[in-house]
Amino acid sequence: MDELRFAQTWNRRLFLRRSGFSLGSLALGSLLGRDGFAAGGAKGTRDATEFGGLAGLPHHAPKAKRVIYLFQSGAPSQLDLFDPKPAITSRRGIELPDSVRMGQRLTTMTSGQKSFPVAPSIFSFQKHGNSGTELSELISHTGGIADDICLIRSMRTEAINHDPAITFVQTGSQIAGRPSMGAWVAYGLGSENQDLPAFVVLLSRGRTDQPLYDRLWGSGFLPTRYQGVKLRGGKSPVLYLDNPPGCSYATRRQMLDDLAALDDLHYRESGDPEILTRVAQYELGYRMQSSVPELTDLSQEPQSILDLYGPDVRKPGSYAANCLLARRLAERGVRFIQLYHMGWDQHGDLPAQIRMQCRDTDQASAALVKDLKQRGLLDDTLIIWGGEFGRTIYSQGKLTADNYGRDHHPRCYSLWLAGGGVKPGVSLGQTDDFSYNIVKDPVDVHDLNATIMYLLGVDHTRLTYRFQGRDFRLTDVHGKLVPQIMA
Amino acid sequence: MSTNVTPRSRLRERLMVVLTACVALAAAGAARAGDAVDFRRDVFPILSNNCFTCHGPDAKARKAKLRLDLKSGALRTDDPIISAGKRSESTLFERITSHDPDDQMPPPKSGKSLTQAQIETLGRWIDQGAVWKGHWAFEPVIEPRVPAPKRAGWARNPIDAFVLARLESLGLEPAAPAADPVLARRLALDLTGLPLAVEDAQAFAADLRPDKYDRLVDRLLASPHHGERMAMDWLDDARYADTNGYQNDFARTMWPWRDWVIRAYNANTPFDLFLTEQLAGDLLPNPTLEQRIATGFNRNNRTVTEAGSLDEEWRVENAVDRIETTATVFLGLTMGCARCHDHKYDPITQTDFYQFMGFFYSLNEQGVYTEQRGNVPPLVSLPTEADRKHLAELDKAVEAARARKAPKNELDKLTKERDEFKASIPSVMIMEDAPKPRPTYVLKRGQYDQPDRSRALEPDAPEALSRLARGVPRNRLGLSKWLLARDNPLTARVAVNRIWQMHFGVGLVKTQENFGVQGEPPSHPELLDWLAAEFVRMGWDQKALHRLIVTSAVYRQASRVEPSLLARDPENRLLGRGPRFRLPAELVRDNALFAAGLLTQRVGGPSIKPYQPAGLWEELAGGAGEAPYVQDHGPGLYRRSLYIYRKRTVPHPALATFDAPSREICQVRRARTNTPLQALGLLNDVTYVEAARRLAEQVLKDGGTSDRARLETLFRRALGRAPHPQELAVLERGLERRLAVYKADQDAAAKLINQGESPRVPGLDPARLAAFTATASVVLNLDETITVE
Repeated sequence: MDELRFAQTWNRRLFLRRSGFSLGSLALGSLLGRDGFAAGGAKGTRDATEFGGLAGLPHHAPKAKRVIYLFQSGAPSQLDLFDPKPAITSRRGIELPDSVRMGQRLTTMTSGQKSFPVAPSIFSFQKHGNSGTELSELISHTGGIADDICLIRSMRTEAINHDPAITFVQTGSQIAGRPSMGAWVAYGLGSENQDLPAFVVLLSRGRTDQPLYDRLWGSGFLPTRYQGVKLRGGKSPVLYLDNPPGCSYATRRQMLDDLAALDDLHYRESGDPEILTRVAQYELGYRMQSSVPELTDLSQEPQSILDLYGPDVRKPGSYAANCLLARRLAERGVRFIQLYHMGWDQHGDLPAQIRMQCRDTDQASAALVKDLKQRGLLDDTLIIWGGEFGRTIYSQGKLTADNYGRDHHPRCYSLWLAGGGVKPGVSLGQTDDFSYNIVKDPVDVHDLNATIMYLLGVDHTRLTYRFQGRDFRLTDVHGKLVPQIMA
Repeated sequence: MSTNVTPRSRLRERLMVVLTACVALAAAGAARAGDAVDFRRDVFPILSNNCFTCHGPDAKARKAKLRLDLKSGALRTDDPIISAGKRSESTLFERITSHDPDDQMPPPKSGKSLTQAQIETLGRWIDQGAVWKGHWAFEPVIEPRVPAPKRAGWARNPIDAFVLARLESLGLEPAAPAADPVLARRLALDLTGLPLAVEDAQAFAADLRPDKYDRLVDRLLASPHHGERMAMDWLDDARYADTNGYQNDFARTMWPWRDWVIRAYNANTPFDLFLTEQLAGDLLPNPTLEQRIATGFNRNNRTVTEAGSLDEEWRVENAVDRIETTATVFLGLTMGCARCHDHKYDPITQTDFYQFMGFFYSLNEQGVYTEQRGNVPPLVSLPTEADRKHLAELDKAVEAARARKAPKNELDKLTKERDEFKASIPSVMIMEDAPKPRPTYVLKRGQYDQPDRSRALEPDAPEALSRLARGVPRNRLGLSKWLLARDNPLTARVAVNRIWQMHFGVGLVKTQENFGVQGEPPSHPELLDWLAAEFVRMGWDQKALHRLIVTSAVYRQASRVEPSLLARDPENRLLGRGPRFRLPAELVRDNALFAAGLLTQRVGGPSIKPYQPAGLWEELAGGAGEAPYVQDHGPGLYRRSLYIYRKRTVPHPALATFDAPSREICQVRRARTNTPLQALGLLNDVTYVEAARRLAEQVLKDGGTSDRARLETLFRRALGRAPHPQELAVLERGLERRLAVYKADQDAAAKLINQGESPRVPGLDPARLAAFTATASVVLNLDETITVE
């Protein structure tokens, strides 16, 4: 971005912030309070640098000021990554005992199978770090940050199919229509940066084709300004951000000035304050035309950092590139950053596919944690890595010495957290020898969500929204904090 | 309930009580000291919000066997908790003022507490006699007497009398009438969703006939675009979409149903028939094809095709969607809350829910059509005459080949050709019941696999709203009759409120989706009831209702607002000024295309795919081949926005940014936001850049002989009025600056005017065209352009 434009935009920013707006008698701050990204200022309870959110929040001092949720869509196999089961390595091919399955419903993808042969992972597990956390050979980079992460092996969910399960993780209900976690957080806590959305979403594709849907980062019945804004790889990271060809920034600026003048004239006729709000939105859009390219411009990143994330970091739209963007978003005060990496749904051909998934994600996930840590940002950034359910110990389809598939498994799955108030270098929970049932310290999705909220300084029972005559919340009527994972 | 619309003379007394109460100030909430407490406005909401969780309709959650949602509970004579006239002798008051945590109501651990003002309101209510009224929306419509406002000659019809009387009681005056150009534009946008053409707007302004406004109303109501405008909103209610909504989100074909809706509105189908045909067209005697198509209303629900999904589970979910949609759209009730337990606020039991489900549970439909694309049964094929002929020929060819024992590959080829053609004929999904009705059972906690088989249930309406009348069939046709029964208190109120909301931006009842106890009461309860009664008396004539509303003086007021009135009534609930609100998403685009002369005005037909940023579908699609977004070209690209292809999992950003819902579930009221993403869209979306260029071309070609004249024309085309001198000055200055810029940078000029697929008008100077394009873009971005005011 050229010097002059940079200076102009910064000067304008400062001018607007200091002097209020030139139109009418309403200050810009209160205009943004109506309906911009930075909505409804909360006064007195928080930093003056923060915008929007509700009065009275945070409820208590937060450990985390922002969240980076690395959502692994399709359900990564816990058996091949996080949950070693040496006791069954020698029992390949035995029938899954009824005493273990205990009538668990199966999806119709495997319920028709005549047998359910146990398929131990062909990957080896090693202990890592001082904590001695056992992780598979496929995620050795994650092994390198073992002492920074808190691994939960006892996550559990109710849903067995992708759509309801991902919806459940994101919104607290299997039935779509409720606000996503990011929307709740944007609504409750607002943003630290008035020039970027409070809730940003980054997508990357994996090796198998699994769909996702806009409503996963939607605002449900919350006002739509809290929905996640997708930041896309490539030229126009925010939709419609760029001026059309032939319209320079100078011309755009002139046009906005004319627009403001005309709207102001009309405001004097009409008296409707929405007109002034609209003018403010144009100014904010204009500022985003600078703030977003600045965000995605990697030219100042040192090679050492790029190397940390791995070679894919230069490919816009890749998981590694998104992880680096996540760090940059965190630095710029974006409140809720959510990555979705697709392709973990290994029903068949698991060993080959999961290797590729890990190659695409392991290094960058660990790099993100290290990068934040060395910048002193890990302490107040909460990172979550996980999917929507686990996978079955029994093989879906033919089991051979070196190949197997796994079907969906809701009764247990693994997930790790790092940063923002999480106890590092520990693991919580235990599953049985078949990674089928939880035997110790189960954590429901609602419990995880309640805890995430808590670390952000929010009492999940008190962040509610009146809709259809009822006070809804992310955790519905559930959710218990998980103190064992909190530092 | 058997009371009909009751003659006015018998209700004077009751009316006086109501009117007296309404003299109290407008704002909802606790009444001010010294005022008469209005039970419905002031007291009931306190009770429902703070007490019903434990003392409400939910039998399982009920404590101390006390119901505060019913008169028989709150004012019980056996162990009374309220002593009318004496708060100090009322246990209820004792408990809400107690500081003992064991006695205090609500209990501290409930998380609810009453404010001092609320406690005082309850106290005063008791002192004033503890008058109890049932929830307003569950009482039958009783046509009120039309009041006589003090100011003579202002009211044009009873709507105005009600509004004016209220304003006068508050010492307020209505606003002056809106100027002709403003009013004409408002009317056109409301009734057709399109502004008037410049010539028509000018003709209207120049017309001196006293009935010119009525003529304009009639003309607009008769336009086929009226049906499109009405359908636009109805599609939200009906959750219309072009895809299934889950996981791979396969496409489906439901546009023939959309066409039915447009036709129905244009034919001014009375609302009772409109309702009946959509809910139960297939159950009418000798149903026509049209009536069967109409039933597509309840096949618009999302459906699951994901392998591994359970058929029975989704049969239940499909039925639940139909219950919730039907109840929300026609009754304004949140019946979905009673799926897992008794409703916590409204008198709807869980058993009621599953009896209501009985109307939708006998569909001849699978719960899951695993990985099946396109329309699934029950459906009806919709061949045109030509299709029929062609299919007959293909059939004949196959038969002939079989008869003469043609070689296998030839027979296969002909069969394939016939089958492919047959598959290409559009169909639409419809309702059709299985021969044997399926019983329903209460599902424990709403779980599909937990039916309480001890009690098979019969389809019926909720008990508190009276059951289906005797002799009425226990199917969707019976349900329709029940909805339209004279004593149904909700259907007509909900229907008129929907139309009111369309014209004023907010309903008389703000919560169109909830007329229940936790919804908001109407701002003008008598007006609402008068409209509901009138609507029925007019034979549920929808166009007549529009006419009544838009010819009222209330509607024709200017929307300008003084700061003092704005502070007092920011949402215009008192209706002391005309409506002003941002256009809905579809009309933002329609308006720009119309002004630019780009809009293709063909009515009806399959959905279209307009410009969309590249890769949006691909980003989210799975491997099932639903990915590529194949944009339309030519006239299809510029059709009205209600025809835009609605993909549920990837809503079109241009629509979503302006608050169009994803159509995953029924939505009867849209948000109206004001965001920077809207600004960016209107400035940078090629749709609007192209529209600006086309608009510029039009005015350069025949907008006048001077640039000033051209700017005026540009303004008129976008806004329906001439610019004021000051506005013109801004435009001229801007144009001058841009002319200089583009003259000096021909390259930039060439780029800017090359946006969009519509062909360029030849012979125009590129720099001038670019400068006018930029100016046109400014005008298309004005707040006024995207607002109906």
